[in-house]
Amino acid sequence: MMNALLNKLSPPTLGQPMQFIFSLIRTTTLALICFTNFVFAQESKSNLLDSFEKHIRPTLVKHCYSCHSQSVDKPKGDFRIDTLTTNFNDNTSKDAWPLVLKQIKSGEMPPKTKSKPSETELKLVSEWINSGIKIAKEKRTSEGRTVLRRLNRIEYENTMRDLLGVTVELKELLPPDSSSNGFDNIGEALHTSTFLMDKYLEGAEKGLNLAIANLPQPPLIKKRYSLKDMHPVKNSTEKVFRLQDDGEVICFSSSAWNAVGLTSFYPPDRGKYRFRISSSGFQSSSKPVTFRIDAGVMGMVGKSHLLGYFDASPDKPTVLEFVEELEARGTIRILPYGLSGAQTVNKIGADKYEGAGLAVQWVDVEGPLYESWPPESHRKIFSNLPTKAAPTYNFSKRVEVSSDNPEADAEKIIRDFARRAFRRKVSDQEIQPFLNLVKTKLNEKVSFEQAIRVGLMGILVSKDFLFLNEKPGKLDDFSLASRLSYFLWSTMPDDELLHLAEQNKLSDAKTLKDQVERMLKNPKASAFTENFVGQWLGLREIDSTIPSHILYPEFDEMLKSSMLKETYLFFEEVLKNNLSITNFVASDFSMLNNRLAKHYNIPNVEGWEFRKVNLPKDSHRGGLLTMASVCKVTANGTYTSPIIRGVWVLERILGTPPPRPPEGIAAVEPDIRGATTIREQLAKHRSVSSCATCHIKIDPPGFALESFDVIGGYREFYRTSGNGKPILIEGKRMPYLQGKPIDPSDVFDDKKFSNIDEFKKLLLLNKDQIARALTERLVTYATGATYNSLDQSEIELIVQKIQSKDYGLKTLIQEMVVSDLFRNK
Amino acid sequence: MYSLPNRRNFLKATGVSLALPWLEAFAENPAVGPPRRMVCICTPLSLHPANFFPKDTGRDYIATPYLETMQNLRNDFTVISGLAHPDVGSSHDSIYSFLTAAPHPERRDGFRNSISLDQFAASHIGGQTRFPSLALSCEGFSLSWTRSGAVVPSDSFPSSVFAKLFLEGRPDEVQGQVNRLRNGRSILDSIGGQAKSLQPNLGTADKGKLEEYFTSVRELEQALAVSEQWSKKPKPKVEVAPPVNIANSADVAGKARLMFDLIHLALQTDSSRLITLLLLGTSLVPPIAGVNLGHHDLSHHGQDPAKIAQLKTVETEKMKTFADFLTKLKNSKEQDSNLLDRTSVFFSSNLGNASSHSTRNLPVILAGGGYKHGQHLAFDPINPPPLSNLYVSMLQRTGIKVDKFGSSTGTLRGIDFAS
Repeated sequence: MMNALLNKLSPPTLGQPMQFIFSLIRTTTLALICFTNFVFAQESKSNLLDSFEKHIRPTLVKHCYSCHSQSVDKPKGDFRIDTLTTNFNDNTSKDAWPLVLKQIKSGEMPPKTKSKPSETELKLVSEWINSGIKIAKEKRTSEGRTVLRRLNRIEYENTMRDLLGVTVELKELLPPDSSSNGFDNIGEALHTSTFLMDKYLEGAEKGLNLAIANLPQPPLIKKRYSLKDMHPVKNSTEKVFRLQDDGEVICFSSSAWNAVGLTSFYPPDRGKYRFRISSSGFQSSSKPVTFRIDAGVMGMVGKSHLLGYFDASPDKPTVLEFVEELEARGTIRILPYGLSGAQTVNKIGADKYEGAGLAVQWVDVEGPLYESWPPESHRKIFSNLPTKAAPTYNFSKRVEVSSDNPEADAEKIIRDFARRAFRRKVSDQEIQPFLNLVKTKLNEKVSFEQAIRVGLMGILVSKDFLFLNEKPGKLDDFSLASRLSYFLWSTMPDDELLHLAEQNKLSDAKTLKDQVERMLKNPKASAFTENFVGQWLGLREIDSTIPSHILYPEFDEMLKSSMLKETYLFFEEVLKNNLSITNFVASDFSMLNNRLAKHYNIPNVEGWEFRKVNLPKDSHRGGLLTMASVCKVTANGTYTSPIIRGVWVLERILGTPPPRPPEGIAAVEPDIRGATTIREQLAKHRSVSSCATCHIKIDPPGFALESFDVIGGYREFYRTSGNGKPILIEGKRMPYLQGKPIDPSDVFDDKKFSNIDEFKKLLLLNKDQIARALTERLVTYATGATYNSLDQSEIELIVQKIQSKDYGLKTLIQEMVVSDLFRNK
Repeated sequence: MYSLPNRRNFLKATGVSLALPWLEAFAENPAVGPPRRMVCICTPLSLHPANFFPKDTGRDYIATPYLETMQNLRNDFTVISGLAHPDVGSSHDSIYSFLTAAPHPERRDGFRNSISLDQFAASHIGGQTRFPSLALSCEGFSLSWTRSGAVVPSDSFPSSVFAKLFLEGRPDEVQGQVNRLRNGRSILDSIGGQAKSLQPNLGTADKGKLEEYFTSVRELEQALAVSEQWSKKPKPKVEVAPPVNIANSADVAGKARLMFDLIHLALQTDSSRLITLLLLGTSLVPPIAGVNLGHHDLSHHGQDPAKIAQLKTVETEKMKTFADFLTKLKNSKEQDSNLLDRTSVFFSSNLGNASSHSTRNLPVILAGGGYKHGQHLAFDPINPPPLSNLYVSMLQRTGIKVDKFGSSTGTLRGIDFAS
């Protein structure tokens, strides 16, 4: 069946010469499979080795070893054939052998100056390699592609949240996870250690402490505040706040120290609080005034975070409402964005000041909010078991859950919790160890609740909770439910998925596709955007450098937040509407707010709120490559490197990563003093032939992107701190100088381009390759297993299917989910 | 018996009022002497090479600006140039292999880490102290790795490290901790029992993962049993106020000082003999006079003289904290010796030149530990011995009889024991 299908496929066309040793392996394997005869079909691993020594090695020694083995000082192309093993499950050998074959078959190797292998030799080698691939495939079928996968720390935190029904910060408790192939959810790369187990014990205890209620319901705070009573307003030595008689306060300064914390609100209890803020833009020329809100415990010891930016409508008060989980003594802080600095306002005085301001009429707070007491998280574990007093010397009102029938209740509690924690049905035998734990504790005269807690902790550190339970072969419905759920939500399956699994309905292709549709509409799907896109495009690295404020004075926190949001919203827009993935290369729209539109030089976008904006023809924007976020993560804070950006495009968009640089080559050190441009420094790459073979592919995308600076601003000249012309913007002298002009032209794939717009068109000439590259990334992330050449034929099938559907992103995800790659271990 | 360092608030009057376990051993057998220790420090954004490496070699080298900060200690350290880990390529990812020498972290795909120097040493001598090792960090990442290549989580809050080392808690808290350890052991014991009933049809890779899990379960149970024993013994008392964490996440020097002070205390009380510390290297602007650009940005100076000057200011401050730490160790007498002489202090970076992310020619200082110091030991950066050779020398100095670690080919020539 598979072979029949495969034979119909034509090999993928890249239309490029074989210049890269490793990068094209993935696109060549399919070609191999197509002409396979499998004469060594009955081969086992051991006679694969025998036949290698008998027939293959002699041929290789004769034709290849003189350039590609230990016998030469510097193997040609940094490629050694003598180190390849006959184990086709070893990743290097598996990927390298097909390449050897391709090179021999195409006549590229041995070089024309050397003697050619005979037909017989050629046939033997190709048959041998093909049988090796077949054996590797069989092993994969019997053991599965995906190595037993532990939850990573993001998945762990989310799973604890959904299992226990409380928001609990656990991610930071755990050590960071290792990544492989750009993702941190690859089973093979995730390890377990005593240190990690210790943290899991701690996490389990922390989670249960929050979920179980041992104290009476905390008293409700419900209060309206005026900013005039807050410390920063009351105690300000600067005249930057105007106080109105009705309690309204107008904040004119955007200086960080003029942020107004809601200092009178100082809740003694952790929990969810509802905030309602009435605000309006003041003297803002009918434009909205943007403000930021931070939440958390303020001050030296606390930890606060940006909750978001919001718009206040001009003149007319509107109410912003949100619910935020706060630690005890947490609060919020408000600061208008983009208004004048404190000095400017103070000089005139807030009472006479005529510039724009943010008027805040009042702030209502209500919380901590509970629908019932004990909270649902508590009842989820203990149902309605009674409590009895269990005071400690500092908590006189403390209670504990009690039971008149401890063993029976324990069994019910443990069974129910294990079923949810393991995300599947559980047998009596499976829960026995946890029940025994509880019984042992009960026998030690520990209280009922304390004994249950020990049993629950046991479940929370057991392998069935911490690992995704996938058996070799076709996944059962429960494993499929988990795989789907961790793919799109980064958390455990919900009741509907588990219910479908219980009825064995989930593996139906139509049901699967419908579930994808449903799951993507759920707010939990934001985890897919953040974790997949965040890693695919490298956006998690957004904070790894802060742009130099001398070269990039316009960079600020809001621009950074806006950049990320644009990319995430853009991805979601494409996904939601099943738009073509070619939009990732070039699109006629993007998702913008005022800050980003200003950065991109696009008129008529007001306020913080993001919206879909049709891009002007000459904007040079559209697609991912020219987004500020991507430009930022592919540069450091000072300069751009065409090499880094070029590699980024090849790896992440084209899926043809270049080979590694040769050992011992120092990276180019850019010089921002203005004397030379990076293109001049890189000229050597093109003149030295050993460099040129790779850099002829790496540099062009990088040069096309030179039109964008380290924060993604469009530029025609470099900025420099050394020699250059002074620059005035709106009458203000900039701290940087104008350096040499940018030259974004080059040759890509034998075709000339003069700027980024033309370069994008060239990329779109090979839509299949864009689709293939993205599919490989998706498969890797969705299955938690590194993509390799054995997956090629199934990837091709998916690409074929979406070809006729205009490469819709949602279709791609649905087809991937119903593919064999996703449905088998 | 202990000299009291009298600098700065934290540690104003360090007094250790507890008989140390090694002292008892010493009383029985005076030949034992104070224990040998090891501290490994990494400064992640390197040090500007021109301000670090002396031009001349041997004992009469002329101190460079950074070494100038340590001239009081000239005979207590050796500056080494040229060293590198073979097969660790240019990238910030080289930090993974800093103490492990595992090949090719920069390739990311297929990279697998191995045991770090401190954990390797801990597997030999860790059982003698309350904490077999301490992994400390000013920024959250860790230098320490287990045998299977899992990261050893680091402590980055001085106040909680201090609490862990020295604060007893109320009696009910102590009892709570004992219960917690006991419950933890019951749980792990029960889970470990499940290892017998494994699915038989697992592939080799899956089996490997499960073995790793069950080994972790078993070893943690043993570790908790040891902790339970220690939890019944009183912690050493130190007469200093607990440190206050520094909230400014850009404070390179301040954070370093707090950690160095803690390390000094931990060594002095023999709470641990093996400590790693990752210093700060962020993209933020350090609160140091004359600096207004981000530290990471400065390290990519692009030869801009103004940036190099600011970088020098930051790095000099950092070097001063290190010099003060060494001084403090030296001033802490221990029998006929002092803490510094009994502690091999390794200070280096995973990068040789942060501006180009080069991992060649790492800046290395080996201080204390009882070696023949006072020189610039220069190796050919083109073809140097592996850095792991120095690690083997340090392991041997710490009393561990091994002749191989990481990518070593022997011990480091030119590094000789003083006694």
